[in-house]
Amino acid sequence: MTPTISVTGLTRRYRDQLALDDVTVDIHGPCITGLLGRNGAGKSTLMRIIASQEFASTGTVRVFGASPVENDAILRRMVLVREDQAFPDFKVCHALRAASWFYPNWSAELAETLLSDFDLPANRMIKKLSRGMRSALGIVIGLAAQAEITLFDEPYAGLDAVARQLFYDRLLAGYAERPSTVILSTHLIDEAADLLEQVVMIDRGRIVLDAAADDVRGSATTVSGPIAAVEEFVAGRPTWDRRRMASQESVVVAGTFDNGDWSRARELHLNLESLSLQQVMVHAAGQASGRSKETTNA
Amino acid sequence: MTTYINVARYHLVQRLNYLILPWAILAFVFVVDVVILALTPAGDSSHRYVGGLASIFVIVFVLGLQSVARSLPFGLALGLSRRSYYLGTTLLAVALSAVAGAVVTAGQAIERGTGGWGMSMGFFRVPYILDGSWYLTWLTSFVALILLFVYGIWFGLVYRRWNLAGLVVFIAAQITVLLIAALATTWTHAWHDIGHFFTALSAAGLTGLLAALTAALFAGGFSTMRRLTV
Repeated sequence: MTPTISVTGLTRRYRDQLALDDVTVDIHGPCITGLLGRNGAGKSTLMRIIASQEFASTGTVRVFGASPVENDAILRRMVLVREDQAFPDFKVCHALRAASWFYPNWSAELAETLLSDFDLPANRMIKKLSRGMRSALGIVIGLAAQAEITLFDEPYAGLDAVARQLFYDRLLAGYAERPSTVILSTHLIDEAADLLEQVVMIDRGRIVLDAAADDVRGSATTVSGPIAAVEEFVAGRPTWDRRRMASQESVVVAGTFDNGDWSRARELHLNLESLSLQQVMVHAAGQASGRSKETTNA
Repeated sequence: MTTYINVARYHLVQRLNYLILPWAILAFVFVVDVVILALTPAGDSSHRYVGGLASIFVIVFVLGLQSVARSLPFGLALGLSRRSYYLGTTLLAVALSAVAGAVVTAGQAIERGTGGWGMSMGFFRVPYILDGSWYLTWLTSFVALILLFVYGIWFGLVYRRWNLAGLVVFIAAQITVLLIAALATTWTHAWHDIGHFFTALSAAGLTGLLAALTAALFAGGFSTMRRLTV
């Protein structure tokens, strides 16, 4: 089956900086994928190239099996919601009306509902909106477009917790109704974790992780307890992080545990705790940038 | 075609900029010219040309500029290719120019019928260029307006892609081309021929020349648009 989005050997070079370095990743829809990574890792560049707002230096991007560059038929099946979207001197209602002309699946009804959900004043000039309200407008457009591919690039800058929750709820509701391909780049990993089915992590322009979210969630565990017991338990296992505090130690161990491991941990009076998606990401980023793995707090 | 029409509609959402301000400015300039003409002695000439019509051409250039300024990033965010955006915007230029040309033509007819608004004023008449039959007036102003709109688009796109430095280079390059042409004319002693060419050129011929120039500017703008990023 052709992947919905297929990126092969994608490199984007700016004058003295490598924004994307030989990125290869396939996204099979319908699926909600989290695109994670630190600031400047290349998330936005990747999304902009997929949406053909930016160009690749080398490598190819295929969307629905064809290049999206200057391809109206592909582009109108895709919507990119950007954190830094610039708008003309429009009112909120103008922007929505304009969007309705170009997106084939646009739902005016949904736009109306979302507008009142997010408390957006339809007749206000966009440049008079607060940062959070402008983000909300981007989200309304992204959701009401009901496109087959929706790319959310940090869609909630300045949005409060209530509005963010509203976004997650609405995104899931829309996804349940008409499953599509959604890519969400975010820093608030734990908040969005329950949403994500697939996780792609970029660090310094390279893909460092591309896995199902459930696999990532169970992929590392913190083992803590008395030093001797912990050391006995983790011996021979790949460890990511090691912290000592007096006679106690806690070690992050990669890999999954079987039943035998769990009962042994109980015998040794060890405390096992699975890492959250966000914690795994932080460790993955640390590994990727070659940071020292061993930290000792005496 | 629907897409191009929708792009034109997208621009026209800013009704004030495209549909109201140009005519408000032209009306204002007209009134200013009338007042100035009323204050100055008539003299002997039967035609007093004021040149206020130039404002509509300047306005159209500015409209071209702004059609690719703040509207462009959101336009490309609406699932449009650069080509669609460019062609749709050009379609708007053609439609607006057709209407504006008709206004100039109508104004000229009234001006002729009223003896220059009762004061021998030549506002909608420009000697040699806009002074022929009504359809030539319409055609020439139509083409000239498109030319300026398209020229404005190209300026706007150059600024978007290469910022101020690029704009300076762009203008300098055009002046250089003119300079080289002037030098070449001098070296080949062709000034006389060129003068002859322009004096012999009919209004229709001039319009044809403008149309060719418009096509060149359109192509230049399109090549700048194709690799634009937002």
